[in-house]
Amino acid sequence: MHKLAQADPTFKDEIMAEPGGENLLRCYSCGTCMAVCLVRRQYPDYNPRRILHMATLGLRNDVLSSHVIWRCSACDDCYHHCPQGIHISELFKAFRTIALREGFTPPDSPALVNERTCVACGLCVEVCPYQAIQLVQKRVLGHEKAVAQVDAALCMNCGVCAASCRSASIDLVNYSDETLLQQLEQQLQMAEVMR
Amino acid sequence: MVDAARHPNITVMSYTEVKRVEGFIGNFKVLVEEKPRYVNMDRCNGCGACSPVCPIEIPNEFEEGIAPRKAIYIPHAQAVPLRYVIDLDACIHCYKCVDACGKLDAIDFSQQPRQQWLDIGSILVATGFDNFDPSVIKEYGFGRYPNVITAMELERINNSAGPTAGRIMRPSDGKFPNKVSFIQCVGSRDERYNLYCSGFCCMYAIKNAVQWKQSHPDADITIFYMDIRTPSKGYEEFYRRAREMGIRFIQGRPSLINEDPATGNLFIQAEDVGLGQAVELESELVVLSTAAVPRIDTNVMGSVLNISRSPDGFFMEYHPKLRPVDSPTDGVFLCGAAQGPKDIPASVAQGSAAASRAARILNADEWEIEPIVAMVWEDRCISAQGKKCGICATKCPYNAITVEVGKAAAVTSAKCHGCGGCVAECPHNAITQMHFTDAQVIAQLHALLKHEPEKKVLAFMCHWCSYGGADNAGTSHFEYPASQRGLRVMCSARMDQDFIYEAFRLGAGMVLVSGCHPQDCHYITGQRVGAERFEKLAKRLVDLGISSQRFRVEWISAAEGAKYAQVIREMDQTLKNIDPQALKDEIEKTRPELERRVRRMRDVPEVVKALAIAEEA
Repeated sequence: MHKLAQADPTFKDEIMAEPGGENLLRCYSCGTCMAVCLVRRQYPDYNPRRILHMATLGLRNDVLSSHVIWRCSACDDCYHHCPQGIHISELFKAFRTIALREGFTPPDSPALVNERTCVACGLCVEVCPYQAIQLVQKRVLGHEKAVAQVDAALCMNCGVCAASCRSASIDLVNYSDETLLQQLEQQLQMAEVMR
Repeated sequence: MVDAARHPNITVMSYTEVKRVEGFIGNFKVLVEEKPRYVNMDRCNGCGACSPVCPIEIPNEFEEGIAPRKAIYIPHAQAVPLRYVIDLDACIHCYKCVDACGKLDAIDFSQQPRQQWLDIGSILVATGFDNFDPSVIKEYGFGRYPNVITAMELERINNSAGPTAGRIMRPSDGKFPNKVSFIQCVGSRDERYNLYCSGFCCMYAIKNAVQWKQSHPDADITIFYMDIRTPSKGYEEFYRRAREMGIRFIQGRPSLINEDPATGNLFIQAEDVGLGQAVELESELVVLSTAAVPRIDTNVMGSVLNISRSPDGFFMEYHPKLRPVDSPTDGVFLCGAAQGPKDIPASVAQGSAAASRAARILNADEWEIEPIVAMVWEDRCISAQGKKCGICATKCPYNAITVEVGKAAAVTSAKCHGCGGCVAECPHNAITQMHFTDAQVIAQLHALLKHEPEKKVLAFMCHWCSYGGADNAGTSHFEYPASQRGLRVMCSARMDQDFIYEAFRLGAGMVLVSGCHPQDCHYITGQRVGAERFEKLAKRLVDLGISSQRFRVEWISAAEGAKYAQVIREMDQTLKNIDPQALKDEIEKTRPELERRVRRMRDVPEVVKALAIAEEA
């Protein structure tokens, strides 16, 4: 049972203060988002409607520790169907920003930049569909240089950056080039055996 | 109210009860009784000097009992007329008020109830509603826990003219409650109490919550609801505004409220459907949105005005869609919550509509009525021959028939609605109904049963319900066998037992009599008149030798097309299961006795004529 006495009534205000979080309270729990969601087909317990409702109730810990806020692929199918015009992926971005600020870690680590080899060509910045990468000035091994930096709240782990990086300086943690190549090799060996 | 009291064409008779209503549309005689106020209306100027000196304090009804009033009082500050009244049940006759009144000398303990008859053209019923008493719902603890209050009590606490001067405080300790919960549908949408939705509670709960939140933005406000119903103009936008203000809406009906005796706080147990989990919420104050229920004296008023009640207990309108402000009695109109729970815009709309409906009558010298009224054949009425009868008058739902021994029964056409109950009940065939005469019905019967009557299901249908049900079966594509033959009359009360005898005499395989459900009858008690007759008739038919499966009585509403089709299918199947030879024998065997029973029908010359024409054809 949820003891709502322990809920945090200020949580909704905090979300609404974040960019993208403004329209949280418009939600009247119709469930359209849940019904159109593509991610739900992969994760049956994925329920954006419930997360929004929990946020309005002030169940801070339940929302911020939920894997749901990280799994959204921002396809925005729900946004186009929402009768209240709530941009749910933006709202989730606000959840993630707060989660990171409060020390919650995403289930999948965001894309990782090798700052030593990054030449700041900016290709990853261009290709990232989520505008999760920026070029920043940084001190790396005693030298001031420009490098790519990934915003963990925005990164969706799609891997476009890793595939397009010409110096192999950016990679996914759980789906690194190395892991993928190993998997490919295994598959090929299997195919060989089968033949 | 003040405007109404000042209007030259309006007389407000307050503290006055309607005792009797006689007459008919445009010509009512109404007996009213003005109760004694023990204060002279002409002398009292409403100064209020008497009330403070009165030593008696009893709960104030207008303040929902949360503030006191004196034994000499005005109901509320805006009362019209602004004249004091003494509650003699509470008064101890100390006469302090008499001294306080002094020279005005307005107090008069010798007053008696005064009755008078008034000539009235049309009547509007605007008796309003009562609030459901939530103390019967034990799980919410109303009456046991001081901090569980009704929405009406909150209205008074929140009112700047109320007992707390508009300062919101909770009953247990007078503190301002910062955590408030509203519970919706208390006593409505509940099988145990009232099935209907009271309609306006969602909006007033949201209104109270928004007001609260506007004056106290930090307040933690929750509304527990089953469905939020905000269907009128601008209401949805208001609901959305409430959500955006941060009022918490939890879909789920609380199952239990527990009190912490130390703090007086309340713990609400509910399921949050949105969450799919049980929740517990601590509140400092719980406000119950109670159902609107019919006034406690609705029955009394209904019998005085001769208007009926719908199943929910409120006064019934003539037609729910097409004549929503007319009552079943011509010249009597319904408005506001007396007819069913409704909010202010709907009440104003219905009140205006009822006023204009009533004004039509006041402005008319003549009034058109339906031509289907009953008429008495004076030469056949035995009352005219000095015998005591009066059956017709006892069966009339509208008191439209007066019977005096020595005179023929007289139908007041303006009061007759044409149910035909008197026509069917008259043992001497001395009454007929225009457009539904015995001759006309018999002629139809003969036509319907001309060919192969033993293969037919003859269905008598009342105009308002079962005919509508048959129609509904057609438009909804619910199929039923083609052996059905329908005969429409206005009410099941009109279905004369002679018609049924005649149908069996002609060899009908099956006979169905169908009409409205008792609570839906459009002729107040017409259905009951028919039902009583059919109950006796069913036994008589069996005694006659007609097997019980060949006669059926069913109450089918206009919405029950599926039921109508089902009944006809069943009857058709039953008929098919009967051995044709046995059926033929039964028809032949019972015919002579049936012949004898319908002999009296031929007293009416038109019936003889109709039968002759039918036989010729």
